[in-house]
Amino acid sequence: MDSPVIDFHSHAGCWGRYGVDADCDLYLKVMDAAGVDRSCINCIWFGDARRGNDLVMEYVKRAPDRFIGVAFATPHYPEEAVRELERAVHGLGMAYVKIYPDYFGRPNDDPAYFPIYEWVDEQEMAVMCHATYPFDPPGTTIEGRFTALSERFPNVRWVMAHTAGAVDADAAETARTLPNVYMETCSSRTTLGATEFNVERAGEDKVLYGSDMALMDARQQIAKVVTADIPRRAKEKILGLNAIRLLRLDDPARGGAA
Amino acid sequence: MTSAVDLDFRPEAPAFDANAALGRRHDRRVAVDDAAGLLAEMDRAGVERALVYAPHAAAFDSAEGNAGLLEAIGDESRLVPQFVCNPTFDDLEATAAQIEAAGVRAVRMVPMLHHYPFRSWVVGEWLEWLSVSGIPLWLPASYEANWHDGGDLDPHAVHETVRQFPDLHVVLCEVHYVQASWAPPLLRSLPNLSIEVSRYVIVDGIARLLEIVGPRRVLYGSRFPEQAIAPQLYHLHRLGLNEADLRAVCGGNLERLLGMSSDG
Repeated sequence: MDSPVIDFHSHAGCWGRYGVDADCDLYLKVMDAAGVDRSCINCIWFGDARRGNDLVMEYVKRAPDRFIGVAFATPHYPEEAVRELERAVHGLGMAYVKIYPDYFGRPNDDPAYFPIYEWVDEQEMAVMCHATYPFDPPGTTIEGRFTALSERFPNVRWVMAHTAGAVDADAAETARTLPNVYMETCSSRTTLGATEFNVERAGEDKVLYGSDMALMDARQQIAKVVTADIPRRAKEKILGLNAIRLLRLDDPARGGAA
Repeated sequence: MTSAVDLDFRPEAPAFDANAALGRRHDRRVAVDDAAGLLAEMDRAGVERALVYAPHAAAFDSAEGNAGLLEAIGDESRLVPQFVCNPTFDDLEATAAQIEAAGVRAVRMVPMLHHYPFRSWVVGEWLEWLSVSGIPLWLPASYEANWHDGGDLDPHAVHETVRQFPDLHVVLCEVHYVQASWAPPLLRSLPNLSIEVSRYVIVDGIARLLEIVGPRRVLYGSRFPEQAIAPQLYHLHRLGLNEADLRAVCGGNLERLLGMSSDG
């Protein structure tokens, strides 16, 4: 394959519960074996976002042509959130923002996130987050949630983490109908037909490859796209071209060609 | 760099899937529930054979499920039947006769779904028979159904019980990354335990398993039809294994366990 491969969803740092170390050498070895050119990497493990973002930069400095830093912000410290995003994005050059509703104990449409979203909206950047929340009340829909978010923050590009790893008509319909909403593929499951379903329903321009490294293995996660029964061009878009377009990586003003 | 991505992937080693289900489920409609559909997916992925069990046998009734499995397989030699046994209610003598008559080469037990402790005072007689008969046993680390979470296998019970039957071959299957804390030490402590890797997606996890137990105790499986057949096979081909080890993991080890190869 000649087109670039970009992993849109990966993590730096230790996760000892699952035996994951902050091992940059292993990270690069797996990326090489999987054929991943660049990984968008975040660190969401700390209550102190600055600490996580600095850890990300250790990876980026180690291999600047292989890692794209992704900023983390926590709504639990609203007095710090926007200031840290300013530092991470404008000071450290991070490419988009990751939040983690499951760990925050708040769904992604909780008003606690709105200062973060307002800032991202001004920057016209992307936010990646889970689309659902373990304690969503009955009747909650992904489409309803992201329709409201998109109306309130029209310049944010939303990436629904993990949704393209499943067969979920609600998520796919949301990505199809809302121009600024995208799906991402990583999942511990390799659900039969998921990639095919989401390409058919949401469109090949709306799906992004992600691995969830360093929890899950990029060589396994990329396989669900590589071996899917979809056209070759769709695979190339999912594996990298869509991320380049979404992050404007081909814009020299934003860091040059991928 | 990007040449490492193979959009035209076909397995280089003969592939024999160690974990596939065949037949309808009662709790939801799966994408593929018949032999023709399974064989078509195997062809698309380049998989030659699959060891298959009936989900109905696991979730409801072993005898009815196993009979339905044989009916679904018919005379298709690429699909190798695996019976689900429930040692708390099934009759051992009758089951053994059915297994011998049908040429069944592997058995699966689901203690968390059939509600029994995997202890020798429950399963000992059955494990003794499996040992003597040379029939390997599959044990899922978890079992998911949408009406009931079967929970996780008790690793301590597996350790204490399997060690009493050193001639029995046991395959731990459906091991998720949340079980990656206990699966490697369990494998290390039980030389007659192997692992099927359909759900083992933790980073570099399979390479670490191979370091711990060697290439003869790691088996490719898909978990079809919940999961696609090809992705884990692709993953195995990206681990840098030598040809002999790749052939063993992709199918040779399963052949050996089932007594279908000359490699003892």
